[in-house]
Amino acid sequence: MIDLREIVDGALAAARDGESVEAYAEESRRTEIDARKGEVEGLTSAESRGLGVRVIAEGRLGFAYVADPSIEEAREAVARARENAAVATEDEFNALPDAQPWEPIDGLFFDEQASMPPEDKVALALGLERVAVSTDPRVTRVESCSFGDAIGRVAMGSTAGVDAEFRRTGCWCVVGTLAEQDGDTQTGFSFQVAHRVSDLDPDAVAREAVERAARMLGAVKPPTKRVPILFDAFAASSFLGVLAGGLSAEAVQKGRSLFADLVGDQVGAEVFTLVDDGRLREGPAAAPFDDEGVPTGRTELITGGVLNGFLHNTYTARRGGATSTGNASRAGYRSTPGVGTSNFYVEPGTEPFERLLEAAEGGVLIQDVSGVHSGANPISGEFSVGATGLRIDGGSLGEPVREMTIASTIPEMMRSIRAVGSDLRFLSSVGSPSILIGEMTIAGV
Amino acid sequence: MLDRDLVQEVLRAARARGGAFSELFVEDRSGVSVRLDDGRIEEVTTGTDRGAGVRVGHGTSFGYAYSNRLDRDSLLEAAAAAAASVREEGPGDVVDLRELEPPVVHAAVRDAASATSAEKVAWVREADETARAFAPEVRQVTALYGDSVQRVLIAASDGRWVEEVRPRVRLIVNVVAARDGTIQTGFHGPAGLAGLEFVDANPPAETAIVAAKRAVTMLDARPAPAGEMAVVLAPGMGGVLFHEAVGHPLEADIVDKEASVYRGRVGERLASEILNGVDDATVPNAWGSFSFDDEGAPAQRTELFEAGVLQGLLYDRLRAEKEGVASSGNGRRQSYAHPPIPRMTNTYILNGTATPEELVSSTPKGVFVTALAGGQTNPATGDFVFGCAEAYLIEDGATTAPVRGANLIGRAIEVMSHVDGIAQDFDIWPGVCGKDGQSVPVGSGSPTLRISKITVGGTGD
Repeated sequence: MIDLREIVDGALAAARDGESVEAYAEESRRTEIDARKGEVEGLTSAESRGLGVRVIAEGRLGFAYVADPSIEEAREAVARARENAAVATEDEFNALPDAQPWEPIDGLFFDEQASMPPEDKVALALGLERVAVSTDPRVTRVESCSFGDAIGRVAMGSTAGVDAEFRRTGCWCVVGTLAEQDGDTQTGFSFQVAHRVSDLDPDAVAREAVERAARMLGAVKPPTKRVPILFDAFAASSFLGVLAGGLSAEAVQKGRSLFADLVGDQVGAEVFTLVDDGRLREGPAAAPFDDEGVPTGRTELITGGVLNGFLHNTYTARRGGATSTGNASRAGYRSTPGVGTSNFYVEPGTEPFERLLEAAEGGVLIQDVSGVHSGANPISGEFSVGATGLRIDGGSLGEPVREMTIASTIPEMMRSIRAVGSDLRFLSSVGSPSILIGEMTIAGV
Repeated sequence: MLDRDLVQEVLRAARARGGAFSELFVEDRSGVSVRLDDGRIEEVTTGTDRGAGVRVGHGTSFGYAYSNRLDRDSLLEAAAAAAASVREEGPGDVVDLRELEPPVVHAAVRDAASATSAEKVAWVREADETARAFAPEVRQVTALYGDSVQRVLIAASDGRWVEEVRPRVRLIVNVVAARDGTIQTGFHGPAGLAGLEFVDANPPAETAIVAAKRAVTMLDARPAPAGEMAVVLAPGMGGVLFHEAVGHPLEADIVDKEASVYRGRVGERLASEILNGVDDATVPNAWGSFSFDDEGAPAQRTELFEAGVLQGLLYDRLRAEKEGVASSGNGRRQSYAHPPIPRMTNTYILNGTATPEELVSSTPKGVFVTALAGGQTNPATGDFVFGCAEAYLIEDGATTAPVRGANLIGRAIEVMSHVDGIAQDFDIWPGVCGKDGQSVPVGSGSPTLRISKITVGGTGD
């Protein structure tokens, strides 16, 4: 099998004078095991590699990709990208980044993870399910229960001198439970991700999924009322995707951001700080360089509620007279680099969850929101989402409530934040602690 | 795509330890996409993808391994990896492979490869220019054109051998309109299992006008009312709701996991008696159609509801074999990199007897929804929530002002039982459906219909 490096070099060798060529090659191996009723329900193992090529000639950009290429096919991809460039619009800001030195990050790749025996993975998935169905008599079934891991490697090069390579291991546990009592069914979910299995706590994932389902049993539709709202870490994370869209320089430059003219303004409460950090080792998206070879780093997008700026790749930085923040992002070798978040999270505060619970007396803890991606307008920031949660009564969790909606705007919600918890959790590469909002309307009956 | 002897060898290797069956899915997909944004042709992409997935089924469990390398060694290695999860019980048979005849063929009249990239670029430019000329409020336009040809070969140890070529074409236009600090968006995206004749039938300019009109209209929108009221859904939209809230819980894997509100309820009346619904992969050249599903089962039309009575479920091979029934031809996968699971194809609510006018005129107060923004369902409880991209108030039997921020919230069985009027103006809405990390093209369809009572979540009075 030819090495990724040879594929990259093969593509670059096909570059003609006066054109810029970039080759991005990646390969991955993945395993995923689904457990149910004490058996392996599904075992998937995968191997994949591919190449994406960008050609920029006279300010025009063309792209082509090919799965598992030979050297000859890598060269053909360059030719096809060149043909595509010929029909694209000339744009003075199209350019490949110059080579910049990047620092490797320790602790992204673990041999022990790359060589984890298949039988250990199976045992872990089965154990996860065993705990999920034996912790609470009302929870005897899982909707989903899986353990997965992946080894990935990226190699890139360009005629501008980029020469970068890194590898990373990752693993995750996902549990979705079903709780039943008196004809009522409720669901609960939990998730953990790490770079090696010894940093996961599978039992805790299973128990949390059980608790989140069981405590919702008997939920009622609440009357419409304005109350303090406490979003737990999972629910709060759900909104970050909408925020991320608005904080991309691409959205700003195309007139699609609600934050476009607000740099330097107080856009959120003083307790609210929002960070993107590609070098945060614990984050699942940690990488020493972004998807066009620019070194990653920590970007404070919002500090103490004040908007500092936006996330950039090389194109948006050139167009906006800024510097790339190392946020070029691809969905794999099949796509060109756009602007995307790396590890994107709300900076945790000092208040433990229990303190926020006391402060939200008479309100509702929201543990799940649904329809954020469809119910929120990323441009106007308006949203209306379905929510489930529990009433907060005497500083602890009370009656479960469901089938209610919360409607507001993202800016209004950011300004109404009263406190940020210390309990930061990552839901994939997006993370948040629990967040207390002054008051919002829950619409029920 | 692959030599018959090699396919036979791989299938045999995958059954080395036993299991109920082995299966090989080979795919070659190539395509072109063009993206116009901000008035510029930002990206023209050509792609080639290929790979193979080997599956061994045993009960409702399976082992699956895939690779995008198609040489003998890689395929045999994948077969061994897929077989590894099977309890050793001795090798299983592989019946001689024979090619199956397709029940329906969705051919492209004009191959996508017959047009140059420059022609495809011209189509998105036409969409951009038309949308911008529609109204001065139009600020931004994104237009995407994409075509692909997926060639598949599916063979299994029971002797099935299926080959199919699936051509797909789609044009999507997104428009942003602004006035006095208010920003709204509009979307339209026709799509078909067809060649370039689909573009002739769905001119880019028409798509652009639908999207632009939607965005501009919504600039005048006021906050949607909140509370329980009647909702009239425009053609196609009832299908989208039906797909999400009803179709997903009817998928046999979800039922098998005991995570469906419809479990064990076939034969019961679980929707209004005027409601008839089907899932139909045989609709000629429809976005969610095919000749064979991704397990090599022939495309078919499956009755889901007849006069409100639940008729059956959507099966793939694993779940059908467990229940001792025939697959309904709903085993689909995003690509060779995904094991097949039960999925919808074209999911339709059929025409009724009312007229769209009378459904609105007999509604004193409610919301008329002309475009849904997408939604989410919890199949175990039937709870769903949908955003509305374009909606209007209904006051005293007439549609009046546009409203924004409306959400429809309810529970599947209850809401489907509250359908009290179905018109005869059936239309479809192509989409991409996500489940278990896999996206597949699906069609939703319905005539105008009315739900007598549903919770609308909005910020207005």
